[in-house]
Amino acid sequence: MKRIEVKLALPVVAPLLDVIKELADSLSRNLAAPLALKDLDDEFQAAWRDELLSTQNEEVRTLLALFDDEFFSDGVVAFDETNAEIIVRACAAVRLRLREKYLKPLGDDEALESGDLDLMTLDEPLRRAFMCYLFLATIQELIIQHLDDSILGT
Amino acid sequence: MSIVAANPQLSPSPQSETELRMEGLWRVVVLNDPVNLMSYVVMVFKKVFGFDEQTARRRMLEVHEQGRSVVWSGLREKAEAYVFTLQQWHLTAVLEPDEAH
Repeated sequence: MKRIEVKLALPVVAPLLDVIKELADSLSRNLAAPLALKDLDDEFQAAWRDELLSTQNEEVRTLLALFDDEFFSDGVVAFDETNAEIIVRACAAVRLRLREKYLKPLGDDEALESGDLDLMTLDEPLRRAFMCYLFLATIQELIIQHLDDSILGT
Repeated sequence: MSIVAANPQLSPSPQSETELRMEGLWRVVVLNDPVNLMSYVVMVFKKVFGFDEQTARRRMLEVHEQGRSVVWSGLREKAEAYVFTLQQWHLTAVLEPDEAH
């Protein structure tokens, strides 16, 4: 089984986990990407929403489970075919929520798209949220680039 | 006057609103968001629609540059299924009637 292990700097990553945990709570009740089909009947729409929420919650739980006791002892997280797809989706969900909850004051979506922002100009909560946003994007890039098609099933 | 028209008992049952809604062809349109990575969107398009790398990349760039891309067209039921799958990947997608058909 192909697997990638990444060693992370604990002092940098640990504070970001608090942000992810807080957002996980919000994501347990709300879809990261709002349902855009307005012409579905109410019952069908509610069924879709419930199923999407259930999947989303499972994704976020899998992401948080990466940062277990072992991670706090050696700083290593591992991705393989059992968790790669779920993690890459969880990162997308959390990043969308980060924008909604914290990053809107940045105003400029171009900065979000490019990631080109001077961290030192941001106040602490915003800086931590933006670091978390970049951290999750890095995890996504790692998975997409290093786990081949057979694992991600493309 | 036809027999069918004269006798409501023999008339074909009127189509329900749902049946009418399901008729015709529908487009699955992916909308841009400033959050999801280009590489992520390309991967999703390859997985969900079976696009090759070049097609997936072209559609992703349409989304990025024009704000939207039509990624599939066909019957309503399948179009809804695609929108649901795209939502599972946290992409925003809508359905539009395909007026070209």
